[in-house]
Amino acid sequence: MTLRRITTYLVVGLGAGVMILPFYWMIITAVSPAPDIIAFPPKWIPSHVTLEHFQEASARAPWLVYYKNSLVVATASVGLSMLFGLFAGYAFAVYKFPLQNFSFLLILGTLMVPVQVTSVALYVFLAKFNWVDTYLGILAPNFASAFGVFLIRQAIKSIPMDLIDAARIDGAGEVRIVTVVVAPLIKATLAAVAMLLFLSSWNDFLWPVIVINSQGLRTLPVGIALFKDPYGNINYGPLMAGTVITVGPMLLAYAFSQRFMIRGIATTGFR
Amino acid sequence: MGRVAPSRMHRRHYVHAYLFIAPVIVLFGLFRVWPSLQTLYYSFFKVELLKGRLTFLGLQNFAGLVHDEIFRAATLHTLIYAAAIVPIAAALGMILAVLFNEEFPLKELFKAIYFAPMVTSTVAAAVVWWWLYNPQYGLFNVILKLMHLPGQPWLLSSRMALPSVIIFSIWKTLGYNLVIYLAGLQAIPHEYHEAATLDGAGSLQRFLRITLPLLAPTTTFVFIYNSIFAFQVFDQVYVLTGGGPARATNVVVLELYNQAFQRYQFGYASAEAMVLFLFILGVTMLQYVYSRRFEVAY
Repeated sequence: MTLRRITTYLVVGLGAGVMILPFYWMIITAVSPAPDIIAFPPKWIPSHVTLEHFQEASARAPWLVYYKNSLVVATASVGLSMLFGLFAGYAFAVYKFPLQNFSFLLILGTLMVPVQVTSVALYVFLAKFNWVDTYLGILAPNFASAFGVFLIRQAIKSIPMDLIDAARIDGAGEVRIVTVVVAPLIKATLAAVAMLLFLSSWNDFLWPVIVINSQGLRTLPVGIALFKDPYGNINYGPLMAGTVITVGPMLLAYAFSQRFMIRGIATTGFR
Repeated sequence: MGRVAPSRMHRRHYVHAYLFIAPVIVLFGLFRVWPSLQTLYYSFFKVELLKGRLTFLGLQNFAGLVHDEIFRAATLHTLIYAAAIVPIAAALGMILAVLFNEEFPLKELFKAIYFAPMVTSTVAAAVVWWWLYNPQYGLFNVILKLMHLPGQPWLLSSRMALPSVIIFSIWKTLGYNLVIYLAGLQAIPHEYHEAATLDGAGSLQRFLRITLPLLAPTTTFVFIYNSIFAFQVFDQVYVLTGGGPARATNVVVLELYNQAFQRYQFGYASAEAMVLFLFILGVTMLQYVYSRRFEVAY
């Protein structure tokens, strides 16, 4: 029994070492003086910690602008998706109305046609009203979330109808019921959905790289991808400093809320 | 009175219902459904965006695809990528989940480490791996050299580039499979294992006869869901290889991205997008046939 336990521990620990290695090496490269980076045998611990690579990375790209863009896009997309999703989820869970199933399937059906498929036509469509290279263009496919509507509907379905009826008898209007009665009851679901949507917006790459042309609108993933010059940039210190800048805040948020984030993804399957 | 009230109530609720779903329906109609239909439409045309001209080609785009060596290779690479990453990441995820299903110190920390790549931007993680894969100074070859093994060309060789991308993607998604399988394992009642142990079944036998079959719905989900994601692979290829060397890692989404946004062949790219959609549709159909346990169809 103990031998088995030791084996389990060894396998899991060794695997974890492999998993964490890229993160570790990213940070070590970012703070090591240049000669350390290409030293052999490798310097697992830098001879001294330097911030010169961060200074060079900052001089070469406007990271704060990238942060601002990522934040604007993620906040707008999460905020609007949550607002629209809450009301649509309520309507699908509580009301009976003509074309209900049709419209619900229409929304869920969009999950089968990801942006990878529609990007070309969406680009042509947005070009017609000059949304290419604008915040609105980046947001266009992410104003609402089918997954959000679905999860919120499921959560509202589990609320007893009596509660909603009681609020109606007390004279509460439907908008008030959604925002004051229903929303607090499903706040765990709302928090999970908001987190998942923020994560996917924050890390989104394909659509932003298609629709953004100007540097001033780049989000973090687009910024770091274009920071890496594919033609012979061997300046790995600043490059790793750039990746630390890019993934740092999200990894920090993850370190403080990993249980919440893992549970959110495990229970919904969303990624 | 008793008959009038409910119907009036219902009519009032129709208004609410339509008002509440209207934003989602309008926005999805405009930016999801309409482009989907346009993709199908454009796939029969030559689309010249700047001239605003559409020329009907019939099935010429699709006929072109069949004979297009580059597209055929991109499709093959995408299928190889999916056929490798899906079962390997599923098997590793399942084994890890079985190990994680027991109690041991620092378990939550270990789980968090395995899951960390999942919340990391694919692009940024791929940039880090691009450095690790560097043949001269990259950590992987440095470690091989420490063990007196020959260094590998990794991303620079057309033979090894696709496997290198696959290794990256396994690292990236393993944590996801781990937590999904762990949730599946925790749904299996302990009594089954206890009864089998009493009957003298060893741990391997218990895994093969109890755990594996009872995890079948989870495995179906993991396979289908990961396949759909694998078909759409783009970010890591864009960063790690740009589709090279010599197009050895060119995949469908990268190919349609280049056709549309480098060569402005929007009609042809739409036809390629339709092929991608058919792959996704095919796997979704498989899911529908296999099990109706999961309400959301991907």
